[in-house]
Amino acid sequence: MTQAGLYADATRAKGESIIEVIGVDKFFGDFQALKNVSINVGRQEVVVVIGPSGSGKSTLIRCINRLEKHDRGRIVVDGIELSDDVRSVHEVRRETGMVFQQFNLFPHLSVLDNITLAPRQVRHAPKAEAEEAGMQLLERVGIPEQARKFPGQLSGGQQQRVAIARSLAMKPKVMMFDEPTSALDPEMIKEVLDVMVELAKGGMTMMCITHEMGFARAVADRVVFMADGQIVEVGTPEHFFTNPVEARTKLFLSQIL
Amino acid sequence: MTTETVPATTAPATPKRGWVAWIRENLFNTWYNGLLTLILGGLTVAALWFAVRAVAGFDLTIIKTNLRLFMIGKFPASQLWRPWVSGALLAHAVGLGSGLVHSATRERAQKAGLPYIPSTVSDILSRFWPVMVLVVVILLLTETITPTIMVILVAGAGAGGSYLGRWLPSRLWGWVAVVALVIGGYMAMSAFGGVGWDAWGGLHLNLFLAVAGIAFAFPLGMLLALGRRSSLPVVRAMSVTYIEVVRGVPLIAILLFGAFAIGFLLPEGVRPSQVTRMLIAITAFEAAYIAEVIRGGLQAVPPGQTEASQALGLPPWKTMRLVVLPQALRATIPPMVGQFISLYKDTTLVAILGLTELLEASFIVNSQPGFLGKGLFLVTLAFAGLVFWVGSYTMSREARRLEKRLGVGER
Repeated sequence: MTQAGLYADATRAKGESIIEVIGVDKFFGDFQALKNVSINVGRQEVVVVIGPSGSGKSTLIRCINRLEKHDRGRIVVDGIELSDDVRSVHEVRRETGMVFQQFNLFPHLSVLDNITLAPRQVRHAPKAEAEEAGMQLLERVGIPEQARKFPGQLSGGQQQRVAIARSLAMKPKVMMFDEPTSALDPEMIKEVLDVMVELAKGGMTMMCITHEMGFARAVADRVVFMADGQIVEVGTPEHFFTNPVEARTKLFLSQIL
Repeated sequence: MTTETVPATTAPATPKRGWVAWIRENLFNTWYNGLLTLILGGLTVAALWFAVRAVAGFDLTIIKTNLRLFMIGKFPASQLWRPWVSGALLAHAVGLGSGLVHSATRERAQKAGLPYIPSTVSDILSRFWPVMVLVVVILLLTETITPTIMVILVAGAGAGGSYLGRWLPSRLWGWVAVVALVIGGYMAMSAFGGVGWDAWGGLHLNLFLAVAGIAFAFPLGMLLALGRRSSLPVVRAMSVTYIEVVRGVPLIAILLFGAFAIGFLLPEGVRPSQVTRMLIAITAFEAAYIAEVIRGGLQAVPPGQTEASQALGLPPWKTMRLVVLPQALRATIPPMVGQFISLYKDTTLVAILGLTELLEASFIVNSQPGFLGKGLFLVTLAFAGLVFWVGSYTMSREARRLEKRLGVGER
């Protein structure tokens, strides 16, 4: 754990933390995807995770809302520790929103129904109330006129914005993004990033896997670099893009910048 | 480059050349192809010649006198109004259901701003002409005018239902009415001094066994399919065992088991009737196949759908019911129709247990005094075959149409 000594301040969030990952291991068969990973995220903090493919960054955030089950270590979200107890999983999922690379909108439901499904089914919100809130969210992501359309009729950028609105409809305390712009055509990346920047400025706690370094520079409080299932380096964006310390980090940055 | 080469190879298409050139290019382009064309062409012409001559020489008296037996078996003559009333109620239910689906699709399309093209009369004709031709042929074989009037009334009930379904303000009540009409259709046959299904026969029995078989097997098959994907090992093992055992046994073995084993196992008083036993056997058999069809549909739903639903906090059963199943079932409609077609034809197997369904009826009429030893099997079998073919062919065309529409629709 080199970074622990060098940047002891950087591994910890400034204020009180909402996500605590402590010494987590994750195996897929014999392959170890996460090796003793520890990271925390503070309230209203934006953490950007970068790293080569296969470095375990997706696995890390998928463990945080239990889409994958971690094998060792502890994960605590807003005071709730993830365990085999389904109630803990349920509560953590209510606190966390997730946006996927492939959008994963429900193709058989209209845009508005995609957004209101969870509030109505999980929070038991009345239909009219859920739809009003859904329309407000669509206004916020800039596509209220698409409410009655189906996901298949929308462009990739619009679909991803609907996916963000769908997550926000559950009023999560943390938003997690798994490469939200990687499946988009270049001209659509900006419209999605704009929504994310807006969200970050509004004080949302975010954990975001992305290769958009402009986004990281603009809104990230800290950047985490992962490789081979480990956290290699953690620091402010300024530290990362001006004087990274680890050789592995330098190599990666030289490849993508 | 490519823009020039592509039209060059495809554009000088067949319409310009005429059929002589087409025949030369496709049928006589080499000497052995020419020879094959001559031999196969000769065989086809000969087969058609014999078929036309045989059909033209058919003495249709045997079908005319037994038409009622073919259609509804040994239904008492005094109760004949029942099948017509039942038919009208069921036609109204089907019409109403299709109208309701139509209205729901129209509403969804309009809200989403998609083009919506209502089907026209010529669409209906091109989709259902084989059935219509068959009905006309059968009506031509009847001796009185009553059946024709009745068929027109039944068709009217269907068309009226369809119109009603399109413009009904409440679709929920529409569906309640559909269920009530289906129950009414059954009651019209059997309730209040009517005839229970044990005395049903002919084409009516085939249709009843196929429709009721699917209706009962569908929920059972869905449970089996979900059981096969369950995380509980015992449930999974039981589902897999059931599905694999049933799929490994011929339907006729299960029918025989139903006919004889259930008879031995249960005492006289609670022993179900022969038709009931057949229905149980068919349901048990179909459920295993439907389970596999639904499993295919479930596998076609990308795992990202489940993950997105879980990440939103939906519990597993709601994820299944609201996210996965609607998509999976939509994908299973075409194979489900295929399953229904094969069941429709398989219902002829109940003949081995002495039930007078259409195929059995077309055999036994040859032993009637007037027709015994006349060798009219070809006539009666051709008639039964035609009836089955028309139903199966129409359904498979409908399945293909659905497949196309679902393919371009919402995914």
